[in-house]
Amino acid sequence: MIRVEHLTKAYRRKVVVDDLSFSVGGGEAVALWGPNGAGKTTVIRCLLGLVGYEGLIEVGGLDVSTHSKSTRGLIGYVPQELGFYGDLTVAETLALSCDLRGLARSRIGEVIEAVSLEAESGKRVAELSGGMRQRLGMAVALLPDPPVLLLDEPTSSLDVTARRRMVSLLDSLRGPERVLVITSHRVEEVGMLVDRVLALDAGRLVHECPPGELTGRLNLESWLHVVLPSSQTAGALAHLTAAGYDAHENGHGVLVGVSPEDKVSALGCLREGDFEIMDFEVWR
Amino acid sequence: MTAAVGAPTVPRTFELRLVSVIARKVIREASRDRWFWLYCAGFAALAGAITVTAVPDQNLIGSGGFGRTAASLVALVQLVVPLMALTLGARYLAGERDSGTLVFLLCHPVSRTEVLLGTYVGLAGSMFAAVTTGFGAAGLFSALRSAPTDPVLLVSLAALSWLLSLAMLGIGLLISSTVRSASTALGMALFVWLSVVFLGDLGVMGTVVATRLPVSALFATVMVNPVEAFRLASVVALDGSLDALGPAGTYAVDRFGDGIANIALGVMAAWTVSAVGAAVLAFRRGDQT
Amino acid sequence: MGGGAPRSLLYAAVVAVGLIATMAGPVVAAPGEVSLQDVIDAADPGDIVTLTAGTYDGGITIDKPLTLVGEGWPVIDGGGEGSVVTVVAPDVTIRGVVIANSGNRLDRENSGITSDLSPRLRIIDNRFQNVLFGMFLRHAHGAEIRDNEIGGMDLFIARRGDGIRIWQTTDAVVEGNHVANGRDSVFWFADRVTVRNNHVEDGRYGLHFMYSDDAFVEGNVLENNSVGAFLMYSTDLTMTGNVFRSNRGPSGYGLGLKDVDGLTASGNRFVENRVGLYADNSPSKVDLYHHLESNVFAFNNIGVLLGSTVARNVFTGNAFIDNSVQVASDSTGGLLDNEWSYEGVGNHWSDFAGFDADSDGIGDIAYQIDNLFTDLIERYPEMAFFSGTPAAQAVDMASKTFPSLRPEPILTDDSPLIRIPAFPPAPMTTEATSGLVVLVASLGLLLAALVVMAGGRFRFSDRIVLGGTT
Repeated sequence: MIRVEHLTKAYRRKVVVDDLSFSVGGGEAVALWGPNGAGKTTVIRCLLGLVGYEGLIEVGGLDVSTHSKSTRGLIGYVPQELGFYGDLTVAETLALSCDLRGLARSRIGEVIEAVSLEAESGKRVAELSGGMRQRLGMAVALLPDPPVLLLDEPTSSLDVTARRRMVSLLDSLRGPERVLVITSHRVEEVGMLVDRVLALDAGRLVHECPPGELTGRLNLESWLHVVLPSSQTAGALAHLTAAGYDAHENGHGVLVGVSPEDKVSALGCLREGDFEIMDFEVWR
Repeated sequence: MTAAVGAPTVPRTFELRLVSVIARKVIREASRDRWFWLYCAGFAALAGAITVTAVPDQNLIGSGGFGRTAASLVALVQLVVPLMALTLGARYLAGERDSGTLVFLLCHPVSRTEVLLGTYVGLAGSMFAAVTTGFGAAGLFSALRSAPTDPVLLVSLAALSWLLSLAMLGIGLLISSTVRSASTALGMALFVWLSVVFLGDLGVMGTVVATRLPVSALFATVMVNPVEAFRLASVVALDGSLDALGPAGTYAVDRFGDGIANIALGVMAAWTVSAVGAAVLAFRRGDQT
Repeated sequence: MGGGAPRSLLYAAVVAVGLIATMAGPVVAAPGEVSLQDVIDAADPGDIVTLTAGTYDGGITIDKPLTLVGEGWPVIDGGGEGSVVTVVAPDVTIRGVVIANSGNRLDRENSGITSDLSPRLRIIDNRFQNVLFGMFLRHAHGAEIRDNEIGGMDLFIARRGDGIRIWQTTDAVVEGNHVANGRDSVFWFADRVTVRNNHVEDGRYGLHFMYSDDAFVEGNVLENNSVGAFLMYSTDLTMTGNVFRSNRGPSGYGLGLKDVDGLTASGNRFVENRVGLYADNSPSKVDLYHHLESNVFAFNNIGVLLGSTVARNVFTGNAFIDNSVQVASDSTGGLLDNEWSYEGVGNHWSDFAGFDADSDGIGDIAYQIDNLFTDLIERYPEMAFFSGTPAAQAVDMASKTFPSLRPEPILTDDSPLIRIPAFPPAPMTTEATSGLVVLVASLGLLLAALVVMAGGRFRFSDRIVLGGTT
């Protein structure tokens, strides 16, 4: 469905995407993962044909550089920063989108329902909360029932509850005929949604793997914060250090460097030493 | 109509329908824009004020007197309409860029040409409304005061003013599609306004004093300016010729006769087409989203 | 040949042509077999010939005192050849007929009515249609031309003839005529002519005086001509209460004066002309002063334009209202040899920026014309091209702000009038456009604005179907 070969994009000689190649097939969901500035959004814009680029991009078998208007017809896009006309209502915004796509307006009700904005359909967009705007963005993207969905940081501006709902909505959108491309800088969300992660750094593809392998490939370290009675802190520190862990004193307990695959062993080590674990959490 | 049923629905390269959709959206935006209505109200108030103050006691001058009112309206249009159209055009795309709505439009199966032309048509419609509101108000005040008024002239001047606004909108959109920042665009629009309304003429005046520019060159140089083209077309509509404008006017009448009005219209049309064309090219080229 | 009416119809209308060949008395002519010329030839001097409705062949000559009276607007049709009626006798009266279709040869001066040696010719209440010259009167002392409707031919203006041309004729009265689409109305060697309450429009020179002394010109409306009235080489002319409006030819004036001595002009309106009043070498005699009093100069491109050597004109009690240039000289140099106030009474100037602290109606400071832009036009006539532009206004504004840029004043009025003086009502002829038409046009414009704006507004709100909501 999507084929990218040797994609290179520079803004005023600053290379933002550097010789990137990948492809996404039918039914697949992939994540473009990387820190801010890695070039994720630029890749999305190239896929949409909004900016010029070097290399080849095909969507649905059509060359984006020459047929971007047609290929955009295949794509539903949710930008990171949603821009809507504040004076239009939710329904009017969707009507405008329908008109721009040449679609009948009969689907508007359906997508409003899909993103649970029924109560807000007559509200002006300017009056919507951030979460509602995000859902409206989803509704706009879903309107044409597109074979390709591009989602740029779909959860970044949401609170925990809204984020959970968005993730489950995205999950429900997966299907054999649909391709999802999601950019994110959160590994754990990506892990729940996608089949494959394309890790970008400074515009280059550094890893391509299933989400479970990503953290390992990246040699990421997590911190395990263990809360202990203050009388036991010094002892625990010594015990862990002796067992080979990278441990530091921290407030009400200790902070232990752990590998993502093995967060539990440090706890086991403390248990063995009969330390009283009052609470723990994983920090990244 | 025998369109092949079931043909693949690949959008054509250019769709007038989309231009219309975007134009209607722009008009709707303008109709909700406080600045736009402020412009309209200001223009209408000034135009109305002219008809109220410019028409003197009929006992004093006998009948007539609309010529003077019309000349004042032309002077008002020369100042206000370019300012409105230039700033409206220059602000518009920059504003869309800032609010992110430009991306909203562009992520649809819509070409940049369609977006730009739709924006232009929508702004042209908005300027049409602004101009007709102004001249309508002027005529209304005239009618209510039973002042002498030539309705044909009133409508012709409204049409000429709109043509001027079309050229100025084109230049405004050209600025808008080449400059990223809204404040830079506004600054450039104001500079262009200053140039077409004051600096251009002052420059030619200086050249006349310094070099005794031949009247043919004077006429040609002045005519390049769309605001001057508007003024000369209006003078022709008012007086029937440019005879009142000294040797250069007489030269123009001798050389071009009745063609002066057509030349003036042509100048405005040429500015419109080339500015909009250049704006389309600049907007298509841009990575500016 | 006669006009277009079918012969059979005319037969039916034939009334016996009564030729009462005895004493001066009524003769009734009807269109028919007997030509109008025959009727006239058969009439006795002093007869009254009544023409009933219908069409009569033109090209007639009246060579005896006779009164021709039309009933029901009979038409004398020249058939496009020569002059329609030629008068070569004294005391002829032509009244109530339509005189149509002369030839169009300028060199032959084809006319509606042409006359020679025709004193006391009276042309009253006739209609002239499609004639090259309307009337061309020679040696018609004491002629009376009254209440005629004179329309010229639809030709390029230089190919047209004059609506009224009077030659070597004293004591003529031209009153209440409406002349449209002619070339000029010319008075050559026409002393003591009275021209009153005529309406002359859409011609070249509304009135043109050559060597015509002691004329009295009153209450005429001269509009949309190239020049309203051009008076040349004439003395002792009185112009009162005339309206000169929208005379805007290439060198168009409301009233132009060349070598005129002894002019009195008062109560005239000069409105929307290219130049309201133009004077060249008038007065020409060094001991003569012209008084121009209580005239209105309004909305002209130039209110008063004086030749550079013109002197001894006294302007008092006039109102100068919103002329683009109030007063100018046609070359550089001031107009200081003319007077702009007389015995403590100046003129009203709409752009006077002074004040009147003692409330005597006279400004406390002098009015001066010292516009930089006007000065520039005088030096560089091409500059006139920019008249009325914002740039020109900026130039004037700059010179007002920086006195060093201010040119020498071209005139000074020491006693400017604060208020517009009272004037008797001006004659009105132009039919004001019906307020209703203006109202409809204005509402149409406003409606157009609404329609366009509504085009965007209603688009997105309709036809949105919200399915599935309960």
